Amino acid sequence: MQRTSRLKRELHLLTTEPPPGIMFWQNKNRMDDLRAQILGGANTPYDKGVFNLEVVVPERYPFEPPKIRFLTPIYHPNIDSAGRICLDVLRLPPKGAWRPSLNISTLLTSIQLLMSEPNPDDPLMADISSEYKYNKEVFIRNAKQWTEKYASQQNRASKTPDEEVTQCEASTPKESAISQKRKGNDMSRKGKKPCLDS
Amino acid sequence: MAGAGALLRQCPLLLPQNREGSVYEGFVTVQDRDFHIRILLPSDFQLKNARIQCSWCLKKVLHGYQQIVKQRLQHCSDLVSFMVELKTILEAALKNAQELHAPPPPEYYSYLVRDIETLGWNKVVYVDTGLNTIKLKGEDSCGRQHLITLKLNAKYPTEPPNCFVDFPVEFALSWIPQSSLIDIYNQFLAALESLKEFWNAMDEIDEKTWVLEPENPTRSATMRRIAIGNNVSINLEVDPRHPTMLPECYFLGADHVVNPLRTKLNNNMHLWDPDITLLQNLKEVLETDFPSRAVLEKTDFTMDCGICYAYRLDGAIPDQVCGDSRCGQPFHQACLVEWLQGLPSSRQSFNVIFGECPYCNKPISVKMSMKKL
Repeated sequence: MQRTSRLKRELHLLTTEPPPGIMFWQNKNRMDDLRAQILGGANTPYDKGVFNLEVVVPERYPFEPPKIRFLTPIYHPNIDSAGRICLDVLRLPPKGAWRPSLNISTLLTSIQLLMSEPNPDDPLMADISSEYKYNKEVFIRNAKQWTEKYASQQNRASKTPDEEVTQCEASTPKESAISQKRKGNDMSRKGKKPCLDS
Repeated sequence: MAGAGALLRQCPLLLPQNREGSVYEGFVTVQDRDFHIRILLPSDFQLKNARIQCSWCLKKVLHGYQQIVKQRLQHCSDLVSFMVELKTILEAALKNAQELHAPPPPEYYSYLVRDIETLGWNKVVYVDTGLNTIKLKGEDSCGRQHLITLKLNAKYPTEPPNCFVDFPVEFALSWIPQSSLIDIYNQFLAALESLKEFWNAMDEIDEKTWVLEPENPTRSATMRRIAIGNNVSINLEVDPRHPTMLPECYFLGADHVVNPLRTKLNNNMHLWDPDITLLQNLKEVLETDFPSRAVLEKTDFTMDCGICYAYRLDGAIPDQVCGDSRCGQPFHQACLVEWLQGLPSSRQSFNVIFGECPYCNKPISVKMSMKKL
C-alpha cells in the first residue's frame, strides 16, 4: 500500500532530477523490478565505466530495504562475484542501518560512494580486500582492467549484437541474471591470476 | 691544536678569549651578514653543557630554531662541527625569514599602479588591501563576461604573477621581465577568442536542451549530460579545441532504448558536419530532438509523510509529527507504527510505542490505532 505511492514519487523524482552519475528506470514497466546505472567516478579505477544494477523492491518496502545487486562485474573489496554488495544501509536494523528516511536514490548514491571509497575492514572478497590494503597498485590495475573489459561502453557497443541475441533468448530476467553471474565467476578466475603472479 | 686551525678557517672572526679556550667570542658570517656570538664552554669542554650568548639580531633569526640548535649541541663532538651546523641552520632560517616577511619594494607599487592606469581602472573588478590580488574582467566578442585573477609576488614584474581563469584548457602565460599587466590582459583576451567557439557550442546546449549534469556548469566544464527522453540521457565530453567535432559520448539508460541510439550514432557518424553547430549535428546524427527542461512541480514535500511519501493514505493525513523543532517531519500514524513495530530498539507500553524518529533519531512515540488492538 505504502509501496506504490512511494515508488511512484521516487520514480518521478529520479526521472526529473537524477543524482549525479546515476540513471534509473523501470524494467519492462514493472514497479518492483528496476534497473539502475552508476557511472564510475573520475579519479577511481572505475572511471569511464558504466555499471548496471538490479533493484528489486520487496513487498514491505519502505519498511524493508530494496535488494540491490550489481549486474556488471566489478572488482571491489565489498562486492562479490554475484554482484552482492556489503553495505550497512542495505540491511535492516539491528545489523544494518536501513530506515525509511532513505530511498533508492540515496542508496544508489551510497553505493557510488562505496565504489570510490572501499571499506577493506568489512570485506566480502577477502583477497581483493587484502590486495586493496597492502598492494594498492595491483588492485587499481586489476580494477581498471575489469572496468575496461566489462563496463566500458566501447566494448559493449561492439558486443551489442550478441547482447541483443541473449536478451531475446532470455525469456525471464532471472535467466539473464544467471548468465551474468556465470560471466562474473569466469572473470573472477581470470582477473585474479595476475595478482597471484605478482 | 688542529681544532683551532680548522675553526679559524671555518669562522675566522670567532676567537678564543682566554688561554684555556673555554670562551669564544666574535662573529659568525652567513650570507654576507655578521652575527655577534659568544660561546662559553664548561670546564670539561663538553659541548652539551655549553652556553651560547647571541646578539639580538641573531636571536631574532634563530627564533623557532632553539630546539634544533640544542639538538646539534648534543650531537656535535667539537666546536668546529657545531659551528658548521650552526651556519647551515642560520642559512635556512634567513632564507625562510625573507620569504615570510619581506614587503614588496616601493617600485612594485609604482609599476603596478602605472600598469593598471594604462590598462584602465574600469577593467579592475577587485583589488585586495595589500595590492597582491587583482581581478580583471574581460568580454569576448559574443558578449560573455570572464574573470582573470592575478596573484602577484613581490618580485613583480621580474617574475610573472599567478593567473587563475575559468577555462577548459590551461592558460599558459608567456612572460618576459619587460612584460606588464597589459600583456597578460591581451593574452587573456586572445585566449577568450580562441575558446569562443567552444562556449558558443556549450551555451547552445545549455539553452536549448535539458542538462542534467552539471547543475550549474562553469565556463571550464567540458562535460554535459543531456536528457534525450524519460530515463535516457547522453553524456558528452566536448573537446574545447575542436568544439564542432564529434565529442566523446556515451549513452545511459535501458538497453532497448539505448541500443538503437548507439546504432544510429555509429551509422550516421560520417554525416557529422563540422560547419554546423554541435547541437544541430547531434540532432541529425541521432535523428532525434532533445526535450527542453521538464517543469518539476515543486509541491511542498514537507507536508507529506516521511515514510510513504504521500499525503493521503487510506484517507488519513500525516498527523504524527516529530517533536524536535529542527526536524518536524510528519508521518502517517499507520506508517510510523509499522516501522517502529519492526524494530528491536522500540519499546511498547499499553497501546503506545516509543522509538526513534527515522529522520533525526530523537525519541518519538505513537499510539497504535484501536482497530489493530
